[in-house]
Amino acid sequence: MTARTIRYGRHTRPLVAGAVALATATALAAALPALGPNGAGASSHREAPQILGLPQYDTTDVYAFVSPDTPDTVTMIANWIPFEEPAGGPNFYPFATDARYEINIDNNGDARPDIVYRWTFRNDRTPGPANSFTGNGTFLYNNGPVTSLNDENLLFRQSYTLSRLDAKRDSWFTLLDRAPVAPSYVGKASMPNYAGLRNAAVKSFGSTSAHGAPTGFAGGKSFAGQADDPFFLDLRVFDLLYGGDLSEVGSDTLAGFNVNTVALQVPKKDLTAGDNVVGIWSTTSKRNSSGDWVQVSRLGSPLVNEVVVPYHRKDRFNHSQPANDAQFAPFVLTPELPKIVQAVYGIPAPATPRNDLVAAFLTGVDGLNKPAKVTPSEMLRLNVNQFSGQQDSRLGVIGGDKNGFPNGRRLTDDVVDIALQVVEGKLLPNHPAAVDTLGDGVDVNDNDFSNVFPYVALPHSGSDPRGAAAANSTEDQGKTALDGGASTGGTPSTEPGAGSGSSDSTGGAAGGSGGMALQAERASSDEPMSSATSMGLAAAAGLALLGGSAWMWRRRRHAHPVQPGQTGTVE
Amino acid sequence: MRQLPRPGSSPAAVGPAAAAGGHPTHTVGLRRPASSAQGSERRSRWVLAAAVAALAFLLIGLGAVLNAGPGGERRTVAPPVRGGATAPLSLTGSSASSIDALTSRLQSHLRAQPRDARSWAVLGAAYVEQARVSGDASFYPKAEGALDRSLGIAPTNNDSALAGFGALAAGRHDFSRALQYAKQAIAVNPESAAAYGVLSDALTELGRYDEGRDAARRMDDLQPSLASAARLAYHAELRADTAAATRLLSAARAQSESAGEVAFVDEQLGNLAWSTGHLDAANRNYRAALAAAPQHAPAMFGLARVRAARGDVEEAQRLAAQAIARRPQLEYIAWYGELLDRAGRRDQARNEYALARATIDLQRAQGVDVDLEAALFEADHGDATAAVRLARAAYDQRPSVYAADAFAWTLHVAGHDRAALEYAGRALRLGTRNALFSYHKGAIELALGKRAAARADLGRALALNSYFSPIHAGAARTALDSLGGAR
Repeated sequence: MTARTIRYGRHTRPLVAGAVALATATALAAALPALGPNGAGASSHREAPQILGLPQYDTTDVYAFVSPDTPDTVTMIANWIPFEEPAGGPNFYPFATDARYEINIDNNGDARPDIVYRWTFRNDRTPGPANSFTGNGTFLYNNGPVTSLNDENLLFRQSYTLSRLDAKRDSWFTLLDRAPVAPSYVGKASMPNYAGLRNAAVKSFGSTSAHGAPTGFAGGKSFAGQADDPFFLDLRVFDLLYGGDLSEVGSDTLAGFNVNTVALQVPKKDLTAGDNVVGIWSTTSKRNSSGDWVQVSRLGSPLVNEVVVPYHRKDRFNHSQPANDAQFAPFVLTPELPKIVQAVYGIPAPATPRNDLVAAFLTGVDGLNKPAKVTPSEMLRLNVNQFSGQQDSRLGVIGGDKNGFPNGRRLTDDVVDIALQVVEGKLLPNHPAAVDTLGDGVDVNDNDFSNVFPYVALPHSGSDPRGAAAANSTEDQGKTALDGGASTGGTPSTEPGAGSGSSDSTGGAAGGSGGMALQAERASSDEPMSSATSMGLAAAAGLALLGGSAWMWRRRRHAHPVQPGQTGTVE
Repeated sequence: MRQLPRPGSSPAAVGPAAAAGGHPTHTVGLRRPASSAQGSERRSRWVLAAAVAALAFLLIGLGAVLNAGPGGERRTVAPPVRGGATAPLSLTGSSASSIDALTSRLQSHLRAQPRDARSWAVLGAAYVEQARVSGDASFYPKAEGALDRSLGIAPTNNDSALAGFGALAAGRHDFSRALQYAKQAIAVNPESAAAYGVLSDALTELGRYDEGRDAARRMDDLQPSLASAARLAYHAELRADTAAATRLLSAARAQSESAGEVAFVDEQLGNLAWSTGHLDAANRNYRAALAAAPQHAPAMFGLARVRAARGDVEEAQRLAAQAIARRPQLEYIAWYGELLDRAGRRDQARNEYALARATIDLQRAQGVDVDLEAALFEADHGDATAAVRLARAAYDQRPSVYAADAFAWTLHVAGHDRAALEYAGRALRLGTRNALFSYHKGAIELALGKRAAARADLGRALALNSYFSPIHAGAARTALDSLGGAR
């Protein structure tokens, strides 16, 4: 940790660490420790490790959109393993080999999967020294430059099998077998042409299965491997959930992080069965000690687990099936978030029950992405027939662009802003003007997306310290009113929780009340802010939430290109 | 009638002490390998220095917590970080410090966002895990502080904090309280695998083994992980199903990607092999654990026992001292003292026993109930009456098979053999294959004149692992020989 602190440099450390920590807490939602009793270190009973999160099984996001370059196909993307630090090593990020990574399709609105695409992975370690951990607690990922997926210098490889379930016929077809996974991007010297490796990992499958059996559909493309996390947001926007300070949003706190991606492109007609709207969600299952498969993660629309399902019901949601989603309806009809926003920011919470949210979260919107017959259930609903004459908007449907979220989800859709506005009543007539301006101040991803499948941006190289990307977005931190709280110094002089008696003296309670006071102050500000958080600028969400005064933020994306190695990396 | 020695206040004087206790004695000769006793004088000084250093480490750690408050952060050694930019050779796989990294991130985050109840709960739980990994109980007050903060901010529906408090209580060996917290956490979140883990641990240590196993199964059904597999393996082991335990652990190992996880699993596999006398397999597993995580103290200690069993006492001493320096754990220190004792190096042994007592005091200072562990130590190296008192308290608290065994043994050492036999039976009620349990039972039976039973139990102990204890294994062998040998 010490080394990592130095690497981030003085300015960036608190922000980065804070973002990661929040994210960690979020990511660990379903994974609080299950500790073994020990401490006295006794042989009188057994100590067992805790669950420190199961990131390999943790879906972060699902995307589904009509492929821009081949509009007769749909592309679906699902991501796992949040917060991969490219240079946080020595680390790499394999897919789990005891998991089923799945994308599910409901094509008749009955809330049950009709088609399932399943990726399963295996390790291919080169026998020899790399086959096991070596004397210093590591093992070799590669022992020289890697110029192809078959390069003998690449000592740890993964491959996967892609299968397709036709639930109506209860039959599985293998679409791809032993398909290569694009490796973790360990560094530019190790992988001088990573784009080449990525391209080589895009695999097509034809109209017959890998075993030669006709599948009755036209084939497609698959990719599995590392990518830049396409989700862009300021995670600190969620700080409002516990009364935190929102003056500091506006930087993509996922900038510089990678994820593990699976992507699939198939013809529309392979997904639909009469209705033009298909429901899409991912699941992850893991084998338990009895050999049974246990679903440990479920994700459809973004942010449902963050802003709709209460914390103590997240585990249940992750274990659940869409067909049983009636149990979560109360959380949609009477959501918590608007109450918090009202208490802290003064925007009146819309009247309940929120039937407007039922459409957004559970059934799809009439005339947009609602199936003809629909059982209310949480999934990403995509109308595969595109609407013509739409002007691209990062705000998707509420920005006047019917081809964006919540009609499916494109990589560029700004789902945080959309979700905030929708939850605060954007779909309701006569909602407060302030609702139209809500957002986290981050409108674009840190890396450009690709124009071709799998569209996600290349991963950040292990040569690039994660802090370099974030550094650009944090230089203005010193201007915030909570300097003492988040951005000064970087010297870990205090330790929260260092003792029950002393923890209050770490600035904890004081910082909390300070944050609240600050927000109250801003609540009285009345300068309206345009929703056009224009290119080059972003608005701090806290202020946006209040319709408050504009806060100038440098647009992080291109203003300061990432300079690898510039930030004092400890080598 | 032949008797097994009762360890008394004079740690090394096994035979005579028993005689002084009024029992006719079958002389039990302590084996003193001349090779080790002679050639290791210099090493022994080093070892003593290490022990003192470890004690200092402990006391400094205590001081830091008592006095330094928030500044008393202990840093563990992190693996070297390699940059990938210029190195075409990439090292991967080590996440031994992942708990350190998590803790550090949470601390930074909470400085900025002190109202985040969830992160306080995660931090509290991370401190408890730090204590487990390091053996350093000074993390417990920190955990308590963090969990208090969490529950203070979010008093309702906070299953994370409740599970964290449960884990903390279990870490401090207050299993009744851990059980209450686990139940509260489950009431809030019925699908919390973490809460079921605490529930399983608490029920298990309270001697409610079937319920404890069911809770572990529920945990495994909610969120299968190494954590759930390890608990199920423990239950299989307790019920003498070594094959199932091995199978569960091996399956978990195949899915372990971090060095810390691999080391933990290999250590467990090593302990399984050791407990059933498979020295080669134990050796192999401990070595694998150390290959994955060279600083993994439990594997060092396991290897020390294997070395001692093979007669390489010097290497055993070196490894034990190394393990203690890394992790000053009562079990290691007591064993090391006994090893020195057996080698005739009684002054050094006494130093170890003093260190052992210091660790007991230190644990208590951190709110950890160590009655059970202290009872066995006192029975073998201290005051029999105090030992009985401690063991009774421990058994009242948590009537596990381990507590029953400790109670039985302390009663025996104090001369109450009839009562002792009752508890020795309870210790073996699951059929656990534990050489020490069987030895204790056999010794009690011998004292009661139950020669056939004694012969069977002593034979069982030695058949399981004829090196189960530096001070008791030889005694068991001699006594068994006097009874006519193993059947």
